[in-house]
Amino acid sequence: MPMETSKQMTKAASKRATASVSKRMSHTVIEKWKDFSFAVPALLFMGVFLYYPLGYSIYLSFTNWNMTRPVKKFVGADNYTRLLSSPDFYHSLKVTFLYTFMDVVLTLAIGLLFALLLNVSSSRLFGFMRGVIFMPYYVSMVVAAMVFTWIYNGQYGLLNNVVSWFGMDPVEWLNNPSTALPALVAVSVWKGVGFAMILFIAGMRGIPAEYYEAASIDGASKFRQFRNITLPLLSPMTLFLVITSFISSMQVFQSIDVMTAGGPLKATNAIVYWIYTMAFSEFKTGRASALVMILFVIILLLTLVQFLVSRKKVHYEG
Amino acid sequence: MKDNYMAGSAKNRKAMMTLRIIGAVIVTLVMFFPVYWLLISAFKTQSEMRMAVPTFWPETFAWQNFAEAFRVIPYARYFGNTLLMAVGTIVLQLNVALMAAYAFAKGQFKGRDTLFLLVLAALIVPEQVIFVPVYVMMSKLDWLNTFWALIVPHGASAYAIFLLRQAFKSINNDVLEAARVDGAGRFSILYKLLFPMAMPTIVTMGVLIFISSWNSYFWPLIMTNNNDMRVLTVGIAMLRDSIAGNEAMFFNVIMASSVMAIIPIVVVFTVMQKHIVAAMANSTFK
Repeated sequence: MPMETSKQMTKAASKRATASVSKRMSHTVIEKWKDFSFAVPALLFMGVFLYYPLGYSIYLSFTNWNMTRPVKKFVGADNYTRLLSSPDFYHSLKVTFLYTFMDVVLTLAIGLLFALLLNVSSSRLFGFMRGVIFMPYYVSMVVAAMVFTWIYNGQYGLLNNVVSWFGMDPVEWLNNPSTALPALVAVSVWKGVGFAMILFIAGMRGIPAEYYEAASIDGASKFRQFRNITLPLLSPMTLFLVITSFISSMQVFQSIDVMTAGGPLKATNAIVYWIYTMAFSEFKTGRASALVMILFVIILLLTLVQFLVSRKKVHYEG
Repeated sequence: MKDNYMAGSAKNRKAMMTLRIIGAVIVTLVMFFPVYWLLISAFKTQSEMRMAVPTFWPETFAWQNFAEAFRVIPYARYFGNTLLMAVGTIVLQLNVALMAAYAFAKGQFKGRDTLFLLVLAALIVPEQVIFVPVYVMMSKLDWLNTFWALIVPHGASAYAIFLLRQAFKSINNDVLEAARVDGAGRFSILYKLLFPMAMPTIVTMGVLIFISSWNSYFWPLIMTNNNDMRVLTVGIAMLRDSIAGNEAMFFNVIMASSVMAIIPIVVVFTVMQKHIVAAMANSTFK
């Protein structure tokens, strides 16, 4: 609402300004160009390093280029049909979605629990604890991956020591196809829950206190208040978190590169890691570009869903 | 009856709060544990790293692990590279964004809002979509293994432009009009008037750019392959690859390298935490 008023005001002001200098038409034209010129650097950077490469990627996905050859042969949809008919593609897609699903569900569920537990304003202790929980979000993924690699180490790692207390045999966490992917998820969850918690708390603080007062006068239990007030009113925030975490999980790369290199037996060969090895180790640049486009389309669809749903739900915020 | 109920509920509330504090402390300790493990592992000797039962406090503090990090890889060089990349990215990205935000918030020209949408659309294009063509471009320009390749492609950030535009929009036009009447040009209005007024946003922006640049991995991994041009994240990952056969021996050195690599982030984060959290919470729906 305030944005609109300021917009109207600027419009009115600009109308007045245009009217007063209408005699010197050329002057205002120059002024407009000068205004525009300030946007030029940004537009140039975006054009050269974003929109042009985007178009070029689309073009490459229809060629058989291998990066070392100067010649690019147009092969039509060949890259796409080959990908779509290869079991490796569906395996990679499965790995990516499995990782994403586990990551998003755990990060959000634990983040929400943490938010409920730690949403105590006007307490220095709780503020400090929230800071500690949020910190992993800003620790570099490479460092996080290193610590967890060491904790997961089959011979000397802490985790095997801990499981031995319960009488379990040691596990090569990162070299075992059934544990490698969950091991990667754990790193991402550790890094991400603080962020989810912070956003959930921001959402909770936006809920008017009167709702809870009214509910407790009506004798609603804490749990019912949570289910009938907190949860529905948090839904725009939840949706935002689901979509953004989904999109970033789909692009998991760093932890795989550092911890498993796509293995063992391709158990962690998620799409972006596969794109990377396809382009830079196998030099199948055209094929890799086609895979890039498939990933991009998935991400676009998700963004579209978010846009449509959040538009519908905008009234929730009040 | 009612008094009883109230007294009971006050007691209950106190008990609940105690439980809550205990729960929160446990959660915080668990979340902090990997950082703790990183710290103490950085100080352990090689033989202590290979004990059957891991120790939770180093027997002796092996400070030489940190010196070793400098010996095994050109650590100081990587640190400098990372710092230069981060600072260069901040300077370029902020200035490009300041100008664009000024044009999109206060400028009057045809197609302004359409162009702004084009800028915003960049938010949904992931790095992986553009890295191959940019890599080819950089190699044609002979920019691979230079700071140009690390900094210039990140010149325009849709996120920075968006946030600064918001900040500029909230500044009253009368102030600008007055400056204009006094004969101030666009650059002096932007840098002498708007810049200080939008200072909180600019500082937060700078911190966020610093953190994401300092932690970046994918981009420097692809744009550099020369040993002298590595940044810390890539250097540490390489350190691990080079000793993969003998991991447990050297993990203390890797941990020491990692500890030094996250110090700038932890410092910046601790000082700026409030601003960062506010920026995070604000950027969600708008």
